[in-house]
Amino acid sequence: MSTHSKAAAQFVADAARTTWHDGALWAVRAKRDRMAQSVPEWEALRSAASEIKRHTLSHLGHYLTTFERQATANGIQVHWAVDADEMNRIVGELVARHGGRHLIKSKSMLSEECGLTPYLEARGIEAVESDLGERIMQLMHRPPSHIVLPAIAVKREEVGTLFEREWHTEPGNSDPTYLTHAARKNLRTKFLGADIAMTGVNFAIAEAGAFAVCTNEGNADLGTSFPDLHIAIMGLEKVIPDYRALGVFTRLLARSATGQPVTTYTSLYRKPAPGKQIHVIIVDNGRTETLADTAHRNMLKCLRCGACMNTCPVYRRSGGYSYSYFIPGPLGINLGMLRSPASYHGNVSACSLCYSCSAVCPARIDLGEQIYAWRQEMDLSGHADKYKKFAAKSIQFALSDPERFRSAVIAGRLAQRLPHGLLNNRFNPWYGSGREMPRFAPRTFRELWQAGEIRAAFPSAPASAPGENGPTAPQNHPTNK
Amino acid sequence: MNSKEQILRRIAAAHSPEISYPAFDFTPQHFADPAATFAERLEAAGGRAVWADGQPLDEWIRRLYPEARRIASTLSEVTLTTINPDETEDPRTLCDVDLGIVRGSFAVAENGAVWIPQTIRHKALYFGATALMIVIPRDAVVDTMHEAMARPEVCEDDFGYGCFMSGPSKTADIEQALVFGAHGPMSVTVVLQ
Repeated sequence: MSTHSKAAAQFVADAARTTWHDGALWAVRAKRDRMAQSVPEWEALRSAASEIKRHTLSHLGHYLTTFERQATANGIQVHWAVDADEMNRIVGELVARHGGRHLIKSKSMLSEECGLTPYLEARGIEAVESDLGERIMQLMHRPPSHIVLPAIAVKREEVGTLFEREWHTEPGNSDPTYLTHAARKNLRTKFLGADIAMTGVNFAIAEAGAFAVCTNEGNADLGTSFPDLHIAIMGLEKVIPDYRALGVFTRLLARSATGQPVTTYTSLYRKPAPGKQIHVIIVDNGRTETLADTAHRNMLKCLRCGACMNTCPVYRRSGGYSYSYFIPGPLGINLGMLRSPASYHGNVSACSLCYSCSAVCPARIDLGEQIYAWRQEMDLSGHADKYKKFAAKSIQFALSDPERFRSAVIAGRLAQRLPHGLLNNRFNPWYGSGREMPRFAPRTFRELWQAGEIRAAFPSAPASAPGENGPTAPQNHPTNK
Repeated sequence: MNSKEQILRRIAAAHSPEISYPAFDFTPQHFADPAATFAERLEAAGGRAVWADGQPLDEWIRRLYPEARRIASTLSEVTLTTINPDETEDPRTLCDVDLGIVRGSFAVAENGAVWIPQTIRHKALYFGATALMIVIPRDAVVDTMHEAMARPEVCEDDFGYGCFMSGPSKTADIEQALVFGAHGPMSVTVVLQ
């Protein structure tokens, strides 16, 4: 059994929570659909986004240096970090040089990727998450379970209990409005007391030397309103050529992410205010390896909208913590494999190959197809599950010859006459996952055909019997382009 | 070799194939009455649009925010102002003022957003005020973000900070229940003047 299946068992044990999680995310997917349908040129926009990203990746060095040059001309200081360690070190140095122990940060997947918060805390710097969902997770000492909806696996009663413990809110009050406003009040002191602000970067606009940060809460904007040092961290794939491209991405991002026409705040930072500093750190941390990987280069087109998670039937029913990589869902399966197949191959089985993720991705990343490709690559690298491989080989053996197939059907019929407990027990992984073994049909199609019953029921059916013309060519794998 | 050179060398070594900048072969959506669509979508985002119709801003403030006591604005036509935010040294004092009145330059019909290039000393007012009134010229409404990005106020002006703002601050981080006023303004009114 994969690491994902084992971890998911814990999540699905709470049926009510699983059902709520599934329904809540499906509702977000439905909102995304309504938004997409309200834009007649939606599919052309997705194509444009994909092509702009591909173009940018093919000129990545040019656009990154253009961004650096323009941003520098605007008074922004640009740094380059080859990996997580270097990024953390640069942040640490900037903070040390500036002084102060209180950093207020907005949501950044890159900071999770690089373990920035623990790095800072080990040096006595308090890094407070200001996005409500991220703050909830920080206070619970748990990682986010979704990249856009960090606290989606937490119930309101749990938030109520948490806030009661932390901020002495009314006992038993779990009303979301009440709790949100309690968090607003408490985080005010963190905003006002911060020495340093940190944000991520949604888009770095090369020609303008500016960067965009998108939030609904306004936490990034409020966070950067008081301290005189603002540090922004970005993966190097976040650069885009120009404002024209930003027009395309801002139309797609929130519609895909949460089903809103745009995030409440799409903020452009172009020049530091007088007396203040803005530093941008451009981070590689494995991205150039992905760029060199022709089979998986497409992952660098990602906008981090989370649409692939919301639509994924496996993610919705198993939750973010069932995946061993810090980013879950179809995106995380792929990014985990790019990070380390040895550590994260257990996630690759968390996919039904329905390809719904590929169908909703605003940048047309072939997420599902790439998971399929990873499964082929896993066999070559020796990470394939040996039991599944044996089962698949056995099935292949039985199905590749008509006589063997018929014998297998007879054997299966006999097997299902065995006492129930002999097949349906914990040693059978199919039954062990809460499923009954399927029943064989009383008679096969071939038997019905030979008895003339098919012809009698469907007079227009073709005259030749199945198997008589040799095996049919295998169908192409379904694609969703 | 420093980190920048190392990263650029790795990018060059990746040899990703040459792809040209795409031509946008689609016609963006167009609205029959962009201002009406803007008002409708701003409302869906939790905000409100009003047409000044020759009424002074003071009137609108009295009508829409009768409870506001601490009012911050640099707009000379607002006489109800109690705080001049540009004369404030510490932006922290602008946090939790009852009402801020600021200028925006144009609106976007498709998503109810207003482009606000920072024209005041502290951007804290945009996010710290409990309620925000944004004043824009009545004819300044574009259809989509494509047009918005091509406006000179975005792609030519020498702004330091600017924001497309669509309604009040919001979150749904607790069980997907929508709540206004996560950190920023609880209420946003756009006045088309």
